Amino acid sequence: MESLITAAARALEAGDPLGALNRVALRNDAPSLALRGIAMAQLGDLAKAKTLLRSAARAFGPREAVARARCVVAEAEIALVSRDLSWPAKTLAGARASLASHGDLANAAHAGHIEARRLLLLGRIDEAERTLAEIGASPLPPASLVVRDLVVAGIAIRRLKTRDARAALDRAGKAALQAGIPALVAEVDSASLILNTPAARLIARGSEHPLLLGEVERLATSTALVVDTFHHVVRRQGTAVSLGTRPVLFALARLLAQAWPADVSREALISGAFQAKHVDESHRARLRVEIGRLRTQLKPLAGISATRQGFELAPKKTRDVIVLARPVEEKHAAVLAILADGEPWSSSALALALRMSARSVQRALEELARSNKVQSFGHGRARRWMTPPVPGFPTGLLLPSPLAKA
Amino acid sequence: MKRSTAEIVREYGPFPDVEAVHGVSYDGRHVWFASGDKLNAVDPESGKVARSLDVAAHAGTAFDGRHLFQIAEDRIQKIDAASGAVLGTIPAPGGGGDSGLAWAEGSLWVGQYRDRRIHQIDPDTGKILRTIESKRFVTGVTWVDGELWHGTWEGDDSDVRRIDPETGRILEQLDMPEGTMVSGLESDGGDRLFCGGGASGKVRAVRRPRRS
Repeated sequence: MESLITAAARALEAGDPLGALNRVALRNDAPSLALRGIAMAQLGDLAKAKTLLRSAARAFGPREAVARARCVVAEAEIALVSRDLSWPAKTLAGARASLASHGDLANAAHAGHIEARRLLLLGRIDEAERTLAEIGASPLPPASLVVRDLVVAGIAIRRLKTRDARAALDRAGKAALQAGIPALVAEVDSASLILNTPAARLIARGSEHPLLLGEVERLATSTALVVDTFHHVVRRQGTAVSLGTRPVLFALARLLAQAWPADVSREALISGAFQAKHVDESHRARLRVEIGRLRTQLKPLAGISATRQGFELAPKKTRDVIVLARPVEEKHAAVLAILADGEPWSSSALALALRMSARSVQRALEELARSNKVQSFGHGRARRWMTPPVPGFPTGLLLPSPLAKA
Repeated sequence: MKRSTAEIVREYGPFPDVEAVHGVSYDGRHVWFASGDKLNAVDPESGKVARSLDVAAHAGTAFDGRHLFQIAEDRIQKIDAASGAVLGTIPAPGGGGDSGLAWAEGSLWVGQYRDRRIHQIDPDTGKILRTIESKRFVTGVTWVDGELWHGTWEGDDSDVRRIDPETGRILEQLDMPEGTMVSGLESDGGDRLFCGGGASGKVRAVRRPRRS
């Protein structure tokens, strides 16, 4: 290809984005725009990088399908790292198909991995897994293998399969060393932290302590009666009662379980489960009805006996009652749980991920910001939210070279 | 215009530590090719690299009988073929958008890739003497027997074509097989055209059709 483009591309590959910019800073032809976009992304100006790559994709001629598709993939990757999940997935799918049909299998796989990561972030785990399966296990460069196994680990973590997650992260770590890309090694390390950071709280006999993901998984085989606030079920080994559609009953079960082996007063149950400010006789009548319903539901697992001041749980076939709760539990726990990945999110991306209205998310974020639980940067549409930053903020960029090298 | 499929008679490489071929030339004995930070001389019989010069080499390469000319960034370097020393530089006419390079009739001929042009320039000053319009992105350029040939690479297609040096009209076109890129062109003075193979890291010899 051209002399300065070759020189700039070589500088980029050698990890010298400023050297690359020096060579093409004043040029506006398609390859220069693409190289400037990649250089800006490496320098961390993702907004500028996106604009440049979009212009480059437009500027490449109709005969330069591969170069154009690579720009689309790079732009999608930048969007993903900026947690901007609203970009058109169709465009990426088109670019992926185009790369595959032109024999650029490595970049086609890269496009597929970006799509799978997006689905994972959106909580569409089955779709993410299907997308990965489509890519197959064709020979990929080590850097692509890292990304692939990070997605596999992410899926396993969401499904509480710690052993699978650890195996995938081990593979990712080895491939990252082989690829020799420090940012990838750091990303694998920070992903591994998830397995060593509390994933839940265990509340039992009035006290609580944090649980690692592996411990949560092991609870599945414990003989205790578990009130699981993640799934809104009450279970003991294979027997489970789902109260997902009965929030009041679940709230009562949880209050009783948290206090066990003590009892809970009527007042505490009413204010805890009905969100009632003043307790009157009608609430007491309702409590009797709801306790009756809960008793019916829980029959295989526990009884509920009346005490002088309220009710107490009487578990069957076990001497243990525990409540499994989110590590941080408050009104906007779901928002916080997503922000806990330490990445900047736009409120619209949060709304997509949480299937909430943009307005509700906005309100939640503002409330959380007032209590210093989240922080934002940027303004208007570019505004991003994150929890106080974690060390080793991964960039996760593994951009395809947008040029057919010559 | 005659149009046919390029007949590849031999492939050289890929060579160790060569990521891509950016320019090709021929000094009567060796095929020279540019590989980014080196100029490499290949023995066309054995296919082995005989020697390499450490010199910036980002695009076209040419040989005037004594010196090698090599495009690097936005200039053309004049290189002593024996020692590898850079004797001087002139600005490249495309300001870095330059691609192919050839020597003929006391002039240097430079392809300007995306502008689809070939410039004839003064090898001492870099002054543009005239410009020929092509219809394709130009990579390599070469002269043989009074014929002006150039390589094209546009998107995912490449060919080698002979054009009328006065008008730029295409006289003959050899289509390269799908996925085979031409990133540099040089004639051996006979019936072979050496083509740089871009990111494949190869150099290919294509048969130059005899004029009937």
